[in-house]
Amino acid sequence: MDAAQDALTLHAIDVPGRLSLASLALPRGALVGLVGPNGAGKSTLLQVAAGLLPPGPAGKVRWEGEDLARVPMLDRGRRAAWVPQEAHFEFGFSVRSVVAQGRFAHGDDEAGVDAALARLELAALAERPVNELSGGEKHRVLLARALATEAPLQLWDEPLAALDPRHGLDVLMLARERTRAGGTVVFSLHDLRVAHCLDYVVVLQGGRLHAAGAPDAVLTPALLLEVFRVRAETAPGLTLFLP
Amino acid sequence: MATNGTKSAKGSGGAALAVAGASLVALSLLSLCVGEAGLTLGQLWDGLLRRDEFAAMVLWQIRLPRLLVAALVGAALSAAGVVMQAFFRNSLASPGLLGVSSGGTAGAVVAIAIGATATSLWVLPLASIVGASLATLAVVGLARRGASTERLLLAGVALNALLGAVTTYVLSAYERNTQILFWLLGGVEDRTWEHVAMAAPVLLVGALLWPLGRSMDLLALGPREAQSLGVDVRALRRKLLVFSTILSALATAVAGTVGFVGLIVPHILRLMVGPEHRRLVPLSLAAGAAFVVGCDIAGRLVGDLRLGIVTSLIGGPFFLWMLRKTP
Repeated sequence: MDAAQDALTLHAIDVPGRLSLASLALPRGALVGLVGPNGAGKSTLLQVAAGLLPPGPAGKVRWEGEDLARVPMLDRGRRAAWVPQEAHFEFGFSVRSVVAQGRFAHGDDEAGVDAALARLELAALAERPVNELSGGEKHRVLLARALATEAPLQLWDEPLAALDPRHGLDVLMLARERTRAGGTVVFSLHDLRVAHCLDYVVVLQGGRLHAAGAPDAVLTPALLLEVFRVRAETAPGLTLFLP
Repeated sequence: MATNGTKSAKGSGGAALAVAGASLVALSLLSLCVGEAGLTLGQLWDGLLRRDEFAAMVLWQIRLPRLLVAALVGAALSAAGVVMQAFFRNSLASPGLLGVSSGGTAGAVVAIAIGATATSLWVLPLASIVGASLATLAVVGLARRGASTERLLLAGVALNALLGAVTTYVLSAYERNTQILFWLLGGVEDRTWEHVAMAAPVLLVGALLWPLGRSMDLLALGPREAQSLGVDVRALRRKLLVFSTILSALATAVAGTVGFVGLIVPHILRLMVGPEHRRLVPLSLAAGAAFVVGCDIAGRLVGDLRLGIVTSLIGGPFFLWMLRKTP
């Protein structure tokens, strides 16, 4: 794979006690799922990829082939967006003003803020104080802020965990819209059935890379048994779609 | 493309700034007139123009320096509160509760005790800055792993006790017992133009804080989130610590420990205009000044209650009320 074709490459990542990873390249335009048991290093990988944790003494993170260490802080806010797993808001900023923070690196131009609010069905909540929202609503605010950045690389930490089924499906649709527009979305998740529908899957275990590639090739019954200690079977069950 | 909501919020910010500014002017006039020798507005005018010798003496030698010191102390403490609250992401953080003011006091009394303050006007504020910086570093070190309310307040309790003991010991050992009261329960009586000069850099620091308002908004919602959105968090936090320490220290150097201003004023302002720092920073300077000038007048009217006692009488119950609301 040509390095310029990769949205994100990680080399010699070493975060003591949390993540040790020799090499990983994620293709541009892919919808990438990050799976692994609790404590596997998914959040750490996303934070290293976002430049929020140091990659270790010899570690290198590249965005579109460019060394992240050379990317100025303000540019980073335009090129990648990170959504944390937990939404904690101490002060009563309005939903709109939190989403508008996504435009900080664009000189606070407010472009796309209304669209991002509408896309995550937050327009009606726009003037509400963000610390009074429910957990799922807070998560949608964080996703809307990430969307407002218009960053090509989107790094989301368990975006589906706090959401009801409908909003969960909608977030997957949103991720697909981003990749269709040429962006790359990397997100961690626990639902292996969802992971199976993505373009690319990265399996972590105990802070190490176990496998990466197309879901069909990676999420084999043998791997699922070894890593997750679950038995996989294709069987008819309940399948959900957006109306 | 601001929506109506944002516009009206910005409007209320402008209106609040106008109200705070008008209150400051009105309270300042009152502060100049009220006292042992009451002055009418006519006498005030004549005194300011030095047409009335007695009024001129009262104003230029006593009341103007006192007013300006009170205003600068109020502006400094409430802006320091706003900055610390954004830094620690905790609306209970303030110079008094975290022990930063106590650090400034300890630094100042040590400098006085060893006689260093006789050498230059700037030794006292610098010693205060050194003391406040040590306290700030201690709090940041203790609260590093996520500044939970308990952790912050406990760090503040410990620092206040320790630094208060240093201050009391130094002052009692050097037979300056009368000064203990001034330093532990701050006040603005008998302030001179030298004190005004010492506190004047507050205005410069306030002006430097102004453009940081937007990044403070992002920091207040999480350092990692802020960094991912393009804020140079390390540089921003360094600046905020330096500025809040200098503001607290300068206030302490000229007025001793005046408690609760950095807690009360920002909290009320947030209730009035919301949490956005582009509005809070300028507003906290004006409203903080008005609040402390008002407290000083109230103390004088009640009968020479020290400024630190007045702010504590208001701030103590207010703090308990805030603590009840904190989950």
